[in-house]
Amino acid sequence: MPSTREERVDDALQSLLERLIPPQFEDEAEALADQRWDEANELARDLIDREPEASIADDVQHAADSIKRRLLKDTRNPERAAAFGGLYSRLLAQPVLGQKWGILYFLDRVGEGENDGGRVGRVEGGRRVQGSGDGGEGGQEEVFDEAFARHGLPRVPQGLESPRQVPLRERAVPGRPKMQAQTPEVEVVGEQEPSSGKVEPSEAALLRDLPFTLQGLSSTNLAFSDKSSLTLPTSLPVPLIALLHALAEPSLLYRSLSDFVESSDGGLVGQSLRSAIGQELRSYLGLVATLEGQIRRALAQLDESLPRGGLGKAGVTLKRCVVWTREATLGLRLMSTIVESAKGKKGGELISLIHNLATSHGDTFVYVFAERLLSNITRPFYNMLRAWVYDGELEDPYTEFFVSSNPDFEDSGATSVWEHKYLLQEGMIPSIVTSDFAQRVYLIGKSLNFIRYGCHDGAWVESYSKDTSRELKYGDTANLSQSIDEAYKTVMARLIYLMETKFALAAHLSALKKYLLLGQGDFIALLMESLASNLDRPANSQYRHTLTAQLEHAIRNSNAQFDSSDVLRRLDARMLELSHGEIGWDVFTLEYRIDSPLDVIVSPWASKQYLKIFNFLWRVKRVEFALSTTWRRVQTGARGVLSAVGDKVGEDWKAARLGLAGMVHFVNQLQYYILFEVIEASWEGLQKTIASPASGTVTLDTLIEAHTAYLRSITRKGLLGGAGGVDFTAQLHELLKLMLSYRDVVDGLYSFSVAEFTRRQELAAKIENRTRAGRWGVAESEDLTMSESPLFPGPNRGTKGGADSPLPPLLLPLTTTTGAEGEKSMLDSLRQRLISLETDFKTRVNVLLGDLAYQPDVDMRFLGVVMNFNGVYAPVRRRRQQPQQQHHHHQQVARSERSAVGKEKVGEGKE
Amino acid sequence: MPAAADDSKRKAARETIDILHDISILLNTHLDRQPLSYCVSLIENGVNPEALAKVVMELRAQNERYEAERAGTVAR
Repeated sequence: MPSTREERVDDALQSLLERLIPPQFEDEAEALADQRWDEANELARDLIDREPEASIADDVQHAADSIKRRLLKDTRNPERAAAFGGLYSRLLAQPVLGQKWGILYFLDRVGEGENDGGRVGRVEGGRRVQGSGDGGEGGQEEVFDEAFARHGLPRVPQGLESPRQVPLRERAVPGRPKMQAQTPEVEVVGEQEPSSGKVEPSEAALLRDLPFTLQGLSSTNLAFSDKSSLTLPTSLPVPLIALLHALAEPSLLYRSLSDFVESSDGGLVGQSLRSAIGQELRSYLGLVATLEGQIRRALAQLDESLPRGGLGKAGVTLKRCVVWTREATLGLRLMSTIVESAKGKKGGELISLIHNLATSHGDTFVYVFAERLLSNITRPFYNMLRAWVYDGELEDPYTEFFVSSNPDFEDSGATSVWEHKYLLQEGMIPSIVTSDFAQRVYLIGKSLNFIRYGCHDGAWVESYSKDTSRELKYGDTANLSQSIDEAYKTVMARLIYLMETKFALAAHLSALKKYLLLGQGDFIALLMESLASNLDRPANSQYRHTLTAQLEHAIRNSNAQFDSSDVLRRLDARMLELSHGEIGWDVFTLEYRIDSPLDVIVSPWASKQYLKIFNFLWRVKRVEFALSTTWRRVQTGARGVLSAVGDKVGEDWKAARLGLAGMVHFVNQLQYYILFEVIEASWEGLQKTIASPASGTVTLDTLIEAHTAYLRSITRKGLLGGAGGVDFTAQLHELLKLMLSYRDVVDGLYSFSVAEFTRRQELAAKIENRTRAGRWGVAESEDLTMSESPLFPGPNRGTKGGADSPLPPLLLPLTTTTGAEGEKSMLDSLRQRLISLETDFKTRVNVLLGDLAYQPDVDMRFLGVVMNFNGVYAPVRRRRQQPQQQHHHHQQVARSERSAVGKEKVGEGKE
Repeated sequence: MPAAADDSKRKAARETIDILHDISILLNTHLDRQPLSYCVSLIENGVNPEALAKVVMELRAQNERYEAERAGTVAR
């Protein structure tokens, strides 16, 4: 049946009263009982009507906590607190009650009231509260007892020293300030004064001032004498002073913190820290406001007649305020510690600092607090991260991000954009992200930037950022790492795609190989043929247009013409810097122009390496070409011309052919080794790395590394690098020079033979003529003249021979011997030169083979073996200290014996 | 079925009262189930719990005074 609230209240109240008030006693008059009943009723009505609203905030948690605290205080039965915890949770689960907090609060008060009424236990409990906080204050317990006594203080300690200033202290760990302990020790024993329990200024006045103090404002009794100290009135008893100390702490902290919040320096993260702390301070102010409400209400109820103004009953005392502000004080202490240690830090360091507090501090309060701060503070950081990861732009006005732009950066092309424009600052990486993550982020941003500026693909970057950009925030680690991974993959894939399609990286790399590393054989052969005669001339008579024309000719007539025009455009013939006395061969080089952004991968260093390799290969090719032309001439000549002069120079020709064959073999092996074993193998390696690198994703960095490794291995294995102190390059150059000189000598021998043949031919023709003319044989005089060789123009011959002969000036003898002696000496000199050159060659090859055999690289050893497959050389391990000549001398003397022994040595070496 | 709903409500109410009774025992309030339930209903109806607590305590104090008086008078 519906009943109004009033009625229900009435009913319940009546029943309650029935229960609480014992019914009529035996020997009590009925009237008295009735009177009692009426009194009780009146009282109840009165109280209920007077205060319709509760004065404490209706927080279930708060009520439960206060109950728990009280239970915990009561250490005689500690399990009560645990039991209460269980019951409380069960209660919360019940759907029935609407005013749980009310019930709990009511029970709390009733329980408290029960425990009240002069029991010593309460005072004990109270004392314990103070004692647990204040360490070494056991001896002052009497003082506190008196302070808590409800009937005023028996004595007032006098003569306290100058007002206690509360200096601001450095606190590493939030803990009770030491000053607290000192104050009670200053207690002045003696001088007892009968007191009425009133202290000046009264507790009520202090309470009235308290809200202002807590906000850091000066008030009548508690003035702030300067920025960081609070003046306490002198005429207060020690315990009150102690309480005021406790209350002074949050006030001072609040003051300094609000100063900090007002200040403005440091970067974005600093500002966000300020705002977070400001928020905390605002909630602190809310607490102060509540406190103020409480105080005001309590003060309004002051009953002057009761001791101490009846504050105790009103529910608000200084002590209670201390307890209520305790948690806030902890928070303020923590904040001021943070602010202290945050001075001078910014960006990632600041975040690391607070994150450290959040993760590795033992105190629950601390890390919950730090978590709260973190979500605020990391906002600018995440903004910067977002801009960097999705746009490739660095929005960092205070250099707080861990990627910083390099102040020395000059915009000189794509390479430097990639390498130097941005740096990763390790120190600024906050501890909320791992360093691996930071690396990835760095790469992503760099690549985006590179795509935008180096590859001029800004449009893609725009669309990408629009599509995928999303909000990043703290605490969302799974999402964050996932989005970073996605971004990483996308950006890298895009970059590689660009490299390969828009800039045709693969095409250019293979073009480099074909032209600079002599991969396109037919083109190179044609080029060499057409240039050969040109390049024999001195360097300063070379003209670029002739070289270019020859180049064009070679391209057009070989398979190179089918390459894309872009590739062919970049190919160029050039002359290096020339110095005196050089011939064309030394200054010629091909060139392949690479522009950005490919020059990130084919860096200037790489281009130089390519040129070096080209130079070397070109030389080898030249020697091969020269030797093979000579050999061809010799072979064809052997059938005709040379057989005719076999009697005279046959031996020489045999030796020369052998030597030639050996050299040709050597050069061929060398070339094969370099072109196929070294270059092709490294090329394979490069292709494989580009297609699927070991680290999983192909990034620009992996490409650069792979390419550099490719070039390095070519230089090292191609005997160009200085591997372990053994200088192959010099040896090879010597050998090549030797081979060229040998070829020249053979050429000389050839011309000599041809001349001889011609002479004999002429002689034969003359004889023929004379035979026909009827004269037999040759006249003595004529014979003599006829024995002049065309090489030595005698007095009656014109200067026919010399200028036309292709012999280099070296081989013309210095003496002007004529006739047969001259010829013979020429032949001798030729022969001698042949022999010496060949011996020299053999020696050097031995040394080279000796070095090769001890190389760590399998392929180089293989080269040594292949060159010496028939054991004709005896590889020698050169010892550095011994001079070369001695060695050669030994070599020459003992060559024949060695060759037999050497075969076994090489055999062992092979195994 | 309303009956079942009522039943469950009653069961829940009984449970709640039990829990509250245990809590009140822990807190030493000397309130029995009956008065406790009246107090609960009072508070649920909007009475200020602080005031109610005061009422309870006042009444108890009064009772004691009367007891003391009576004891005094009886002893005399």
